[in-house]
Parts: sequence; C-alpha cells; structure tokens
Amino acid sequence: MIPKKGMIKSTDAFERLVHWWLAITCIILILTGLGMMFHSFNFLGTPLGGLKNLKLVHNFTGLLFAPALFFAILIWWREAGVFKMPEDLEWIKVAGGYLWHVDDVPETGKYNPGQKAFFLAVAIFGILMVASGLIMWFPLSLPSGLVQWMYPLHALGMLVIFPFVLVHIYLGTIGVPGSARAIFTGYVTRSWAEKQCPGWLKEMEEEGRLEIYGEEKEEAAHG
Amino acid sequence: MAEKIKLYDTSKCTGCRACQLACKQWNALPAGQTYNAGTYQNPPDLQSNTWMLIRFQEMSNGNGDVKWLFRKDACMHCTDAACIKVCPSGALFRTKYGSVALDRDKCIGCKECISACPFDVPRYDPVTDKIAKCDLCFSRIDRGMEPACVKACPTGALSFGDKDEMIARAHARVKELGGDANVYGDQFVGGTHMLYVLTEKPDVYDELPERPRVPLTVIAWKDWFKPLTLLAAGGVLAGSFIHYLTHGPKDTSGDDQAGGEGGE
Amino acid sequence: MTNHWNDIENSDCVLAMGSNPASNHPISFKYVTKAMEKGAPLISVDPRFTQTSARANIYAPLRSGTDIAFLGGMIKYILDNNLIHEKYVKAYTNASFLVNPDFKMPGENNGVFSGLVENKYDKSTWSYQTDADGVILKDPTLSDPNCVYRLLKKHYKRYTPEVVSNITGTPKDKLLAVYEAYTKTGKPGKAGTIMYAMGWTQHTVGVQNIRAMSIIQLLLGNMGVAGGGVNALRGESNVQGSTDMALLFHILPGYLKTPVASLQTLEEYNKKNTPATNEPKSLNWWKNYSKYMASLLRAHYGMNVTLEEAYNYLPKRDDGQDCSWLTLFDSMYKGKFSGLFAWGMNPACSGASSHKVRQALTQLDWMVNVNVYDNETGSFWREPGLDPSKIKTEVFMLPCSSFMEKEGSITNSGRWMQWRYKAVDSPGVAMPDGDIMTELFYRLKERYEKDGGPLADAVTRLTWDYGVKDGAGRIHHFDPDYVAREVNGYFLEDKVIGGVLYKKGTLVPSFGLLQDDGSTSSGNWLYCNSYTEKGNMAKRRGNEDKSHIGLYSDWAWCWPLNRRIIYNGASVDPDTGVPWDKKNPVIRWDGARWKGDVPDGVAAPGAGRPPFIMKPDGVANIFGPGLADGPFPEHYEPLECPIEENLLSPQFINPTIVRWDEVGTGTSVDARATCDPRFPFVCSTYRVSEHWQTGVLTRWAPWLAEMQPELFVEIGSELARLKGFKNGEHVMVKSVRGEVEAVAIVTDRYKPMKVAGMTVHQVGIPWHYGWVTTNMRKYVHGDKVPEVFTSGDSANLLTPFIGDPNTGIPESKAFMVNVERKGV
Ligand code: HEM
Ligand code: SF4
Ligand code: SF4
Repeated sequence: MIPKKGMIKSTDAFERLVHWWLAITCIILILTGLGMMFHSFNFLGTPLGGLKNLKLVHNFTGLLFAPALFFAILIWWREAGVFKMPEDLEWIKVAGGYLWHVDDVPETGKYNPGQKAFFLAVAIFGILMVASGLIMWFPLSLPSGLVQWMYPLHALGMLVIFPFVLVHIYLGTIGVPGSARAIFTGYVTRSWAEKQCPGWLKEMEEEGRLEIYGEEKEEAAHG
Repeated sequence: MAEKIKLYDTSKCTGCRACQLACKQWNALPAGQTYNAGTYQNPPDLQSNTWMLIRFQEMSNGNGDVKWLFRKDACMHCTDAACIKVCPSGALFRTKYGSVALDRDKCIGCKECISACPFDVPRYDPVTDKIAKCDLCFSRIDRGMEPACVKACPTGALSFGDKDEMIARAHARVKELGGDANVYGDQFVGGTHMLYVLTEKPDVYDELPERPRVPLTVIAWKDWFKPLTLLAAGGVLAGSFIHYLTHGPKDTSGDDQAGGEGGE
Repeated sequence: MTNHWNDIENSDCVLAMGSNPASNHPISFKYVTKAMEKGAPLISVDPRFTQTSARANIYAPLRSGTDIAFLGGMIKYILDNNLIHEKYVKAYTNASFLVNPDFKMPGENNGVFSGLVENKYDKSTWSYQTDADGVILKDPTLSDPNCVYRLLKKHYKRYTPEVVSNITGTPKDKLLAVYEAYTKTGKPGKAGTIMYAMGWTQHTVGVQNIRAMSIIQLLLGNMGVAGGGVNALRGESNVQGSTDMALLFHILPGYLKTPVASLQTLEEYNKKNTPATNEPKSLNWWKNYSKYMASLLRAHYGMNVTLEEAYNYLPKRDDGQDCSWLTLFDSMYKGKFSGLFAWGMNPACSGASSHKVRQALTQLDWMVNVNVYDNETGSFWREPGLDPSKIKTEVFMLPCSSFMEKEGSITNSGRWMQWRYKAVDSPGVAMPDGDIMTELFYRLKERYEKDGGPLADAVTRLTWDYGVKDGAGRIHHFDPDYVAREVNGYFLEDKVIGGVLYKKGTLVPSFGLLQDDGSTSSGNWLYCNSYTEKGNMAKRRGNEDKSHIGLYSDWAWCWPLNRRIIYNGASVDPDTGVPWDKKNPVIRWDGARWKGDVPDGVAAPGAGRPPFIMKPDGVANIFGPGLADGPFPEHYEPLECPIEENLLSPQFINPTIVRWDEVGTGTSVDARATCDPRFPFVCSTYRVSEHWQTGVLTRWAPWLAEMQPELFVEIGSELARLKGFKNGEHVMVKSVRGEVEAVAIVTDRYKPMKVAGMTVHQVGIPWHYGWVTTNMRKYVHGDKVPEVFTSGDSANLLTPFIGDPNTGIPESKAFMVNVERKGV
C-alpha cells in the first residue's frame, strides 16, 4: 500500500494517528462493552482472565478513548461537523447514491453528509459515553437518581455508535475500495478523490494546496 | 421445585434482632465499630457486612399515643429483579426457589445492581470489590432448612414456606388485623419472595418505597436499547452484505488507477 | 414461675408489668404471641413504652416505684365489682380466716401496720383467732369484719382510681382499661398471667409488689391453672437453679433455712423450722423438714459423720444477721473482709452504688476473679483515674469455661432442669468451674489437714465424689453427672418402706421416701426424682405434648416431681374435681386417680384437703403475716422520689428498710436525694436484648456490641426540648452518688406524667456497660482488645444503696437523677 506517484495526500500523520487511536480504543470498547452487555458475550472476557479484567480493560480503554475523541473533534469538527446547505441536503435526498442508482450525485466536500453524521454521532455520543462511563465507573460518588440514568444513556450511545462503526468499517473497506489507503498511507488516488470528495479536490486545487506524492508540495498541508 | 417465600409479619415482630444476629452468624459477616446515633437501629443501614437489619421507627399520633415500628430490611427477592436484569456478569441469578442469589465469584464489582435495585439493597465491599446482599440463605434452603433469620425468630414474625401458602397466610393475617394492615410485596415487581405483613400503610415506613418497580432507566436500558443494539448492529451488517451483493462496491477507480490493487 | 414458659400460651390475658419480655426474654414472646393469636390481650404497664408495649393491646405508663398503688387499685376494682372467683377464694385461700381484732392497718394507723417498733415489726397482732384446740376461726360467708376478705376490702378502700392515678401518673382511663381487661380472668375457666421481672423486685417494696399481684391472682382464681400463675422471668438462664441450690445467704439447698447460732442442735434447728398446724385437713408438707435436712447433711458428709456432727459443721449466722448483698459490701467497704471470690459475677458494675462497691474492693487483701473475660471487678485496681500502686489488693484471675465449653444442668424460670452438653473445648487454660472448685477443695483440705484450724473437720471430712477416683481417692476430672446423682440422693443402706425394699446405693425415686434417720442422702430434696435408676431425667428430650396444654412432661425434668404447674390442685372444683377450665385442664379426676400433670397436694375430690400444701394451713395467703413489712402490701414511696409526701398515708417510705444513709458511713456513696431540685427526674435502669447483665459476656461479643455499642439514656421528647438536648448527643446523667456519660435517645416513648398535681419526667438507662471494653482505657500487652469497643460505664454508679427489707434486693428501678449537657 505504498503510495504511488501522483496520488493525492488526503490526511496527515497526526490525523491518522488520532484516527487509529480513536478507532482502536473504540473497537476495544465496543468489544468489551459487548462482553458486558450480553451474557452470551461474557466469553469475551475469558482471554483477558475473566469478566472483571474485561471491565477494567473497558474502563481504562475508555480513559484512552477520551483524549482521542478530544483531538478528533478538534481536527475534524470543521470539515465533518457542520452540514453545508443545500448541497448536503441534496446529497441526503439521494442517499449519496449508495442505495440506488443516481446519475448525478451532488458534489460533496471532503466529507459527505453520511460521514458527517458518523462524525457527529461519534463526537456527541462519544462525549456522552465518556461522561456516563466515568460516572458509572464510580457510581457511589453521585446521587443514585443521576447515576441511574447513565446506564441507559451509555446503552443508547452503544446503540448509535456500534452500527455506525460497522457501516463506517464497511464503507471504509470493501464498500468503497481505496478508502482505507487514505487512513493508512495518507494518500488517495485522484479518481477516488474525484468520486468521493470532488468539492474538496476542486477547492484544494484552486487554492493550490494539493499535495501530490512525488511532487514538491505546493504549500504546507493544513494541519 | 416450588417457589418459596419468606413472610415477615410486623405485627408479631418485637425488634429483638435475633434475625439480624443470625444473619451475621450464618453468613460469617464481621461486626464493625458502630456508634449510637440516638436510636436502637444499628448498624445504621444495610452494609456489605450487614445484609439485613431491623429498622426502628417511632410514630406518634395526635392523641399522644405512640407506636414503635420495627421493620426487617433486606433483599425482597423480586420476581422482576432489576438487579438480575442489569447484572453484566450473571453473578446475580434467580434460584429454583424464586429467590435472588449471588455467585460471588462471578461478581465484577460494577455496582450496576446498586443503582438498579428499587429497594436500595445491594451493598459494595471495596475490600473484595464485590457486592453483597441477602441470598435468602441459599445454602440452607437448598438443604431443606429455613433461612437463618427465620430459624432464629422467636415470635413467629418470620416464617418460610411455599409461595402460595405464604401469600394466603399473609392475606389471612391482614384480614385478622384489619385497620391499615396490608400485604406488601405480592403486587409489584412480579411479586417478591420476601413478603411483608405491614401494620401501617407502606408510606409510613422509613426507606420503604410505596410503589416499587423496576426503574424506567433499567427498562430503557435493558428492554429497549439492549435488544435494539443487537437489532441495529445485525441490521447494519446484513444491510452492508446485501448492499455489497446487490450494489457492489463503489467504483472509485479512474484512469490513473494508481491504487488499483487496493480494494481494502 | 409457678407455671412455665410454654404455659403462657394458655393465658386469656397476659400482663407484663415490671418486665419487658420482648427485649429481655425474647423467647417468651413465642408463647405470648401464641396467646395473642388466640385472642388474649397483652397489657404492658411500664414507665417507658418498650418493645413489649409496641406489641401490647393496652399500654399504661406508670411512675417507677408505684406498682403497689396500681395493683392495690386493681384489688379494689375487683372487690368493688365483685369480680372474684368466689368458690376458689373461699376454698383455697385464707380469705375466710378471722384475724386478731387488735391487728391495725395503715389506713387507721398512720400508714403502718400494728406493731412497728423503730424499723421492725412486732408481728404478734398479725395472727388469727383460734378456737380452744388452736384451729383457726373462719367465716365462710366472708362477712365478719375481722375476716381477711373484709380487711382486704377495708385496706384497699383507700386506693381509688383518682388517688392511684395521682400517685402513679397513669391516666385514669388507661388505669381502668387495664383493670377491666385483666379482671375478666376472674371468670371461672379464664386465666390471666403475670410476667414480672426486676421491675418489680428491685424496689424497697419489691416483695410486696409481688404479694400484691399474688393477691390479685388468688382473688381471680388464677393460681394453679393453665395460663395463670405468678411468673418471675429470671434474669439469667440458671438463676432459678442457683436459687434452688442456695444462692442466697438465708437458705440452704431446697429452701431449707441456714442455721443460726442460737440453734445449737439439729433437733432444735428442726423444731424451729418445722411448721405446725392445727388445721385438721391440712397436709402441711413442711412437716417433713427434718427428713430433707438429714438427707442434705448426708449428702455433704456421708455416713462417716453423725447427723449431729454434720449439723455442727455447718456455718451458722448470728441470730438476725443479714448477709445479703448490700450488707456484705457495706462490711467490705468498712474493711471487714480480707478476701473475696468474685465467681461468675461483676459486682463493680452490678452492685448498686457501684462506687461504693469499687471502693469496697480496695479494702480487700486479695480477690479471686473467676470469669470468662476480664471485667471491671478483676481490673478494678486499674480503672482510669486510679493509681494501682496505692491499692493493696492482690488480684488473681482464674479463667473459666463458658457454658458451651462444659457439661451440666441449668434450671430455667419454669423450674425445668435441662441437661446441656459440652460443645467445644475451653480455650487456653480455662477450666470448668467444677474443676476449679475441685482443685480448690483439695488444696484447702490439704492445708486444713496439715495446719488444722477452727472446725477443720468441716472441710476435711466433706465428701467429694464428683468423678472417677484414682488409687489415692482423688478425682482428676470433675463430672457433673456425679453431682446430679448426689443432688437427687441415694439410699445409704437397705431400707424397706411401705413393704418395698430399696437397696443400698440405689437412687431415691422421690422425696416422699427421704428419711430423717440418716439412711438417705439428697443434696436438694426438691430435686429428688431428677435422677432415678432410669437415668438422668434432665437429659430427656421427649417432645410430645400428651397434655395438649404444653406441659411436655417428657422433656427434661421439672421440680418438684416433674410437676409442671405447681398448685395445680387449685385448678379444679374442690367438690367435684372438675377443672375450672375444661378446655385447658391441668389435672382431672377419672374416678379413681388424677390424670394430667403430676397432681399437687390434692386428695380425692370432696375430701376437703386444701391444696396449698406448702403452707401450714393448706391455703394460699391473701393475708400474709410472714413478711417483714406487712401482711397486706401498702404503697410507700421509693427512697428517692419526686414528690414530698405519700398521698395515701403519713408514712413516706417503707418503714422497715435498712437505711445506710442514716446508719452507714455517711459518705457520698450512701447519700440519697429525695425531692431534691438538683435531681429532678425519676430514673430506672433496665436491659436491652443485645446485652446481658453487666455485659461481661456480651460486650466482648462483636456482633452484640455492634448493635448496642454505647450507654444511652432515653429521654422524653418534651424533657429534651426543655433541656435543649438533641437526639444522639452525649449527656451526663448524674445522681447524688455518681455520674455516667451516655448518648441521649430522645424519644416519644417517655411522656411526662402528672403526679400529685406536678409534672414528673422519667428517664431510663441500661446498665450493661463498663469501662473495661471502652477505648478510653489503656490496653497493655496481654490484654484482650475488643473487636468492637463499647462506651460508657455502669448505670449502677447512679443507683442507691438501699434494699427491700425482706430480701435486701437493691432499689435500682426508682431513683432520682439529673441529665445535663456534657461539660456543664
Ligand atoms: C465508544 C465508546 C464506548 C462504547 C461503545 C462503550 C460500550 C459499552 C457497553 C456496550 C457497555 C455495556 C452496557 C450494558 O451492560 O448494557 C459499557 C459499559 C460500561 N462502559 Fe462503556 N463504552 C464506551 C466508552 C466508555 C468510556 C469512555 C467509559 C469511561 C471510562 C466507559 C465505561 C463504561 C462503564 C463503567 C461501563 C459499565 C459496565 C461495567 O462497569 O461493568 N465506556 N460500555
Ligand atoms: S430487592 Fe433489589 S437486590 Fe433484592 S432482588 Fe429485588 S432488585 Fe434484586
Ligand atoms: S427475630 Fe423475629 S421478632 Fe426478632 S427482630 Fe427478627 S423478625 Fe422481629
């Protein structure tokens, strides 16, 4: 997966670090969460030496998840956290062309509304997960009336994040070939970029900020 | 195996606390240093080493008469036990007698049962990092004996037997007592396996919920969100699969095809 | 108890007065509850609303120490409303007896009975009119003004509900509610029971409290019947047994009298103590006195010593000498003792006016403390604040086994002698008391054999057959089974009685066979029949109730002769033998024999033998001339009380009590403060479920200490408001004799009372605590440190050094205190 000449730089090292940091902790949280949520997944604790350790892994991973989430929000909230109207609405109307054939998918920026939704879900519910999770970790320190609500909220977060993550993984891998490269190497093919984020490509090119592998950087990448 | 009920008749309880002691003795629960806070009630509340206690409460009415209420507080052994519902490890479980017992080895100390229990029963022990509560003397009842507290009770305020019989006995006693007497336990959380005959209305008693129920939070969590999670996750997986088959991957290739071997 | 624990279940009305069985006799509540389930009301009369009151149908408060007024009012109520069980009263009591016309009663004699000289009664007028043959004159119509019944009526005429309520502080409606409910049991076939404990005995009128109730029980026909009786709830599992076995100074085992110096020979002694009667039909059981005494002497000294010699060996009191608790400790305080065995007791906490007791201990040269744990008595010399180097007493601690570490019997309140087995070995060097005593005996014997001494033979010739002997005749392990056999008694030679041969060495089957010629032994005649050739009856565990009234006659053994309800001869109609209560018959005549419980004293129906055979005249005493303070109970104020006068008579307090504050040392430990504004509140001591006695055993038990960790004082909400006390704050309770720190429990269960037009507040305090188990003391190497500390010292630091004239029991249930915020 070594980038080839002519590929376009879409992510920088820090972005990729934060992404993987977030992704790995999130997946661990999901897996360990599942282990606690369903008795039939209790076995997930076995390799860790029991459910108790699973819980500890979950809780401490949660601690690692929180800063990743913080950086992720910092990095991406502008690009992925705000919907642009009306383009995004148009895109949503046709579901980005993912579900049925659409001749003309409205152009999107770096992140399409689907991705934005995913980002927002992770951001909002991630904060929620951190807050509720911390409280659930030390439930006796707060009034039980408050603590009680953390559990359904945490479960709600799971309900939202888990499916999104699955979709994200699907689309990031076999669903949209070539995407994974972006987050492994930082580079995508031009055609991928044309299809996936034509708006961004245009903008970058206009501003002359596009970095192309093997060429002198036109300008410092954003960061 | 027939479901069993422990019946506690407040009208026959003298507050002698033989039960409280018997509980500690059978379960080998250590004593802790206590202080008198102006009441006979001690320890002041349920603790990880105090699985049941008699609550003492005075009640004066307008004409100068006083009542002294005693109430044995411990796990009610709910049929719809919120604690079992929330317990992630399966440490809390329903026994064949209908009681709610605890497998201490499984308990991971997450304390979820503590906030779920409508009767505020489970207690956390930081030393063992586990919770503790009355298990209706599973080790005894499983060998055909009554719980230790019942064995110790001198007055007959406590009795133990088959569910239907105990419920019938409770109602018969309430009829006998008349007035505000009532049966507490068979009308909520699916019916409890500790049943009270109360001489006063439930709201009179300290720390006793008038209409206990599995908290909405637990229902939302366990009855709604939990199955929905499974459904959503399953749906997404299935959807992706179908999408892949019917729609195929998105074609992101172009002339440059630099990453052609991709498809990760 | 004339009846027994299970029998409470048969009652139609249960009166708990002078007791708090729910807290202090929790098991009894099993039977109380059963009686209640069958419809019997429970009445609780107590200054404090207790755990018993919480279950009672009727609760009536009363001021501590005014029980006689309360009960006197009930007697009046019974007589005024003619609620007596008439046939019973006429046949089975001395109601019809004609009393000496010179006899005067308090109502007409300045509050005292005739014959008071200084503080003692000359009882010559407390006698009956007799005919030429000495037979007592009677008026079966109960109309003669000098008959007991009329005198009773006259005496209690003064106890009107108004006066009683004014004395006791009991609201009149409550008073009448109690009277009405309880006296319903006067109906033939109905039974009322009284459960009393230290709340009645620990008063300067303690014995008369119980007499008053006995009179009520007789008037209502409640003695001898199932569910009736006069029932003392003993404060300790074996108090009954130890009393039977001569716990008290004035009795030998089996309630034989201790010899006094003026009775030089056995014959004189027997003559003096064997009652006589001229009543033709009376059995007068005590006429057998000499047989029991002879058998007791044989049990002590065997066949090698003549009965006369054996009698000489017995220690003798000076005539009239009082050796009761208070006197003993007063003597000790005055330096008249050199040594003390404090055996299984804790006088430094249990003794009234404990400061005096604690100071008395410093006067000893030596003291041996035999106990399971260290206590305030054994460690008195290192009480915080004392300088051990200034105390001369040499103290020895002998650790002994607890009840589960040894075998033996206990006799419960219901007179059941029950065998207990050893469960675990004793820890460390602890030994069963019997082994300690055996060792002590051998050492003493050796000393006396070597050095001689006054009456050395009294010790050296004692029999000591309490175990398997080695070649030298010495036993190495004390075996209580041998004691049980000796207590029952043996035939010491072949004996033919009534045509039956009883072989030497066999156990005597019944006390009816004990002899006065020295051919039998019995360590306690009342227990003869407890160990027969069939075995140790106390070990029996038959749990079938053939009687259907809960006699359980095959369970353990009950004195006398396994009779479960004594005086049961009075439970039937004297003419027909038909039980008053056909539902719960104790005995019944089947035409030839009595069936049911072992019959007490009755001959065939219609034979006219009065069944109270332990009384010389065969009937129960409503008029009781035997007591020191009067043949009828009369209300007197406690030594310390809140009001200035006795509302019933000019005689303020019991005129016959022994007063240390007047004749004693005159120090603060004997002081009293009656109607003293410095000590305005009535106080009573009591117990809680979780602790026992001075707490020597329970304070060391972490589970119990956890439930009741601190000395508390219960204070009525109103008083607390007046004084500004908050619930749970620490306060000082002070009497003129001492003070203790306690946690205030502010409660609605104490209400102010209206007494003699004044408002009187009462407070209450348990007496189980002591400084040894607190964390306010030093623990040195080797001291056991409690797992759960308790706080507070003995409430007896407050109680007065005064006692009942008959028994000497201290008045710990009514005295005056003040309660103050800490540091004031
Ligand atoms: C993507 C983020 C997260 C996901 C998907 C996740 C998922 C889950 C799930 C599914 C459960 C089980 C709930 C149940 O039993 O129904 C759970 C429990 C829990 N989670 Fe999380 N979680 C996340 C983040 C966190 C964080 C950041 C913390 C805090 C440090 C945390 C702490 C906890 C705690 C304390 C529990 C309670 C269960 C226990 O203690 O046994 N979680 N989580
Ligand atoms: S009372 Fe609480 S701990 Fe007991 S079964 Fe019910 S929910 Fe569980
Ligand atoms: S043992 Fe029985 S009477 Fe005593 S406190 Fe417990 S329930 Fe009440």
